[in-house]
Amino acid sequence: MRNPGSGPGRALPSLATLSALLRRSFDATVFVSRGAKILLFVTWLVAIAAIGVGVARHLRISSDLRSFMPPPQTADQKLLLDEIGEGPGSRLLLLAVSGGSSQRLAQLSQGLKTALQNDPRFLRVSNGNADLSALASSLLPYRYLLSPTLDTQRLDADYLRDQLAQRLEDLSSPAATLLKPLLPRDPTLEILKLAQRWAPTKQPQLREGVWFSSQGEALLVAETRAPGFDPGAQRETIEALQQDFAALPGAQDAKLLISGPGYFSVEVSARTKAEADRFGFITTLGFVILLLIAYRSAVPLVVTALPLLSGAVCGFAALALIFGQAHGITLAFGFTLLGVAQEYPIRVFSHRRAGQTALQSVRGLWPLLATAIVSTCIAYLAFFASGVTGLQQLAVFTITGLVIAGACTRYLLPRVLPEGFRDASSTPGLAQAWRFLSALPRPRWLPWVVLITGILIVAFAPAKFWENDLSALAPVPRNLLMTQARLGAELGAPDVRYLLVLRAPSADGVLALSEKIAPRVEALVTHRAVDAVELPSRYLPSLETQRARQAKLPDAATLQASLAQAERDLPFRPGLFAPFVADVERARTLPPLTPAVFERSPLGARLQAMLVPHDGQWIGLGTLIGVNDPQAIAALSQSTHGAVHLLDLKASSESLLIAYRQRILIALGIAALLLCITVTIALRGPRRALHVLAPMTLATLMVLVVLRAAGIPLSLFHLVSLTLAAGLGLHYALFFERRTDDPAEERRTLHATLVCVISALLVFGVLALSSVPVLRAIGLTVALGVAFHFTLSVLMAPAAHLRHED
Amino acid sequence: MSVETGRTARRIACGLLALLPLGAFAARTDLAQTILKSMARPGSAQVAFVEVSYRGMLDRPLITSGTMKWLGGDKLERDVEKPYQVVAKIGDGQMSVERAGHPAQTTPIARAPQMGAILAGFRALLGGDAETLSRDFEVQASGDTARWVLTLTPRSGELQHRVQSIVIDGREGAPRCMTLNEADGDTTITLLGKTAEKGLRSTVPQQAAVMALCRNG
Repeated sequence: MRNPGSGPGRALPSLATLSALLRRSFDATVFVSRGAKILLFVTWLVAIAAIGVGVARHLRISSDLRSFMPPPQTADQKLLLDEIGEGPGSRLLLLAVSGGSSQRLAQLSQGLKTALQNDPRFLRVSNGNADLSALASSLLPYRYLLSPTLDTQRLDADYLRDQLAQRLEDLSSPAATLLKPLLPRDPTLEILKLAQRWAPTKQPQLREGVWFSSQGEALLVAETRAPGFDPGAQRETIEALQQDFAALPGAQDAKLLISGPGYFSVEVSARTKAEADRFGFITTLGFVILLLIAYRSAVPLVVTALPLLSGAVCGFAALALIFGQAHGITLAFGFTLLGVAQEYPIRVFSHRRAGQTALQSVRGLWPLLATAIVSTCIAYLAFFASGVTGLQQLAVFTITGLVIAGACTRYLLPRVLPEGFRDASSTPGLAQAWRFLSALPRPRWLPWVVLITGILIVAFAPAKFWENDLSALAPVPRNLLMTQARLGAELGAPDVRYLLVLRAPSADGVLALSEKIAPRVEALVTHRAVDAVELPSRYLPSLETQRARQAKLPDAATLQASLAQAERDLPFRPGLFAPFVADVERARTLPPLTPAVFERSPLGARLQAMLVPHDGQWIGLGTLIGVNDPQAIAALSQSTHGAVHLLDLKASSESLLIAYRQRILIALGIAALLLCITVTIALRGPRRALHVLAPMTLATLMVLVVLRAAGIPLSLFHLVSLTLAAGLGLHYALFFERRTDDPAEERRTLHATLVCVISALLVFGVLALSSVPVLRAIGLTVALGVAFHFTLSVLMAPAAHLRHED
Repeated sequence: MSVETGRTARRIACGLLALLPLGAFAARTDLAQTILKSMARPGSAQVAFVEVSYRGMLDRPLITSGTMKWLGGDKLERDVEKPYQVVAKIGDGQMSVERAGHPAQTTPIARAPQMGAILAGFRALLGGDAETLSRDFEVQASGDTARWVLTLTPRSGELQHRVQSIVIDGREGAPRCMTLNEADGDTTITLLGKTAEKGLRSTVPQQAAVMALCRNG
């Protein structure tokens, strides 16, 4: 480049001044000796590693949707984000133990249940073996307030007589050993009635006292504390579960099958990671070969990743400093967008020329690179202004990353590059390639035809435009889904899509409402609108109901008299039921059981999950099992004036996703506008800017055309990939637009661009072959984008155009 | 006792062993092994029973009578006919009790650990698996094949908590009577087959008198 000062960098005076200042102070330090270069290289590596370690310690990678999604607008969205996550159904793990006699499996089932009950990572474990100790022993007198017996029955002589006669029969039945210890305190067996009431509504067959599937596996349900969408916490929980199981005596011969949304999130992220790693290996190998061929030197190999790595760790550090945490998806998007920075060192390698130090070559390139970096960063400011935390994080990460990667390329990279190199312009075949590209026909009407047909195809292709289901991008393997469907059907697992939401000013209000709608809910079950419903009042009646039951309890004298009458002619020893009389007397004066007290009992965690304070009121969450007719259930809303309503988790999370996408689209629109303005200023006028912006726009349109024509609905990942491709396209167009009369420099530009294009095609083209849709989406979009951006920036470049006219 | 009744009684005894905390015939003595072998047979059968329970919480014994049915596998039905009607079904690790006019109530046997051990023993017994049986019980046999007594004492602490011993009186390979001595002092004596058919002389029989029926009846 003869006159680097006339490049676009001039148009950014502040940057130029800053650059000059830095240059004066830093460029004075010349690292001439080989030893000094190696020392700087090692220091650089150590610095990256040090920042990396610091980041790993301090940046919390969150899976909290709130740090990713825009602020909720509707009540349902708010509830979804604040309280539910993906619903209680998403926290259920379905377990099946196989490989042994039913006896053996029942023992393992019981052992696993005991182990998980002692693990704070689990809220509830059921295996069908109803636990008589479901009520803490200190709460035992409350059984008369919790059980519905007194609603229809009084503890009078007739009732007691009938009960005692039945107990007598029990005493000469095989169940005697079981019931004997209960009788003196609980002759009406309220404890058993409660245990039955609290047992799951729909149960698989019992064998050996525990649930068994029709395939002979012992079944369990475990509710995890961690939400289903949190792969990190779920992985930890599932590993603990597997260890607990392996520690059981005789577990080595048996097989534990785990299913459920939490397990899927772990499996899917592991699968995606495994595939990304596998492709990463292939593409790294390809990239190494490509660099060796392109530069016929090992040096670029060693240093090429340093600017990108520096940018990435500093981007993470900025996130850690400003936000303290970031959503995993934000990081994935950010890292994708940062891929642009891989071009910077390649440009430096390709543009070195004889008689110039690496530093001088970089200075010649810098105005153009700086233009690309600055305009991209300014564009990403739009994301920062979006007001959505996830997008702000994306902006902070990307802008920091790009600036640092750029600065490293400018100030550090040249100082570690050795003196010796091969001029890329002398690469065999490059001159022919340049001539071939220059000689391509460039009809002026072509862009217009592309533009119009492109718009028509994008607008009228019949395929669904947007993919609203984020999970469609990382789908659960079919065999896992089939296992889930099978176990879910056997265990009567709650619906993961629908939830019955009850709103009231207080927790007790929710319980009262729950009792009020219970008969209507029962009717829905009878009419098969839903297979079963679990309401909060199933575990704890409202204060009013408890008081009403309390009022029906006889005083000690009355009860003694009734009991005496009931016992007449029966062989029970006198005074046997004194503990019963004492318990009833205590129950008469107890303050009614509140959710706060009940939560200390074994089933408390279950109620706690169903009864949550939210926004100054209380929310009850009713679990639905086997929803057949959502509309019939939704009708509850009208008859309760909205106090009860059916929450469609899928619809709510999709509406959130749509809101998120709209924010991204707006941000991208503003970013595009900012980019146009920056490029126009940098290139001093719309004419040159058009040469850069027109191919970028058309290429982006072409990618959309291909995706739409192929019937692929667009997702957030496509949008981010389109943005990355556009960032790469900006480089191609800027460098092809550069005015230079030096054919060797033109060949170097072509060399750099070809290396960039081929490496991008390699990395993303391989990714496009992935079986994981999210990887395929990114790979296909970027690979197509790179191909179109390259082709169009060559075909629409003014320099080549002029030469062709010559 | 006819051959048929004898076999039936044997089978029913197998079932009873499951009901009552019995389980392991440690085939230490030839006698115990002979008795065990003669009991382990497939098929289905039924036999009359009379059961007398002496319980600490009651001031007189409970007497029930009816039919015990072995339905094959580990399934057993115990139909109480007098003084009330109750059908109890045991199998697949659970027990369902059905009173006339009431819905069946199902209780998992494994809820009480000792019941699980009993069932395990029962299954092993039907399969002639003396080793599994002897895991849970110490078995002693006395008398001869014509007139014998098997005494089962639980080995495990959990079972010992509930059951002191089970004594089975039999003649010529057919059990006549089973006595369950619970750890809390309660005793249940079940008369089987011929012994049961003879019936009790008193409505409030003394325990010693019933035990004499077992030994001599």
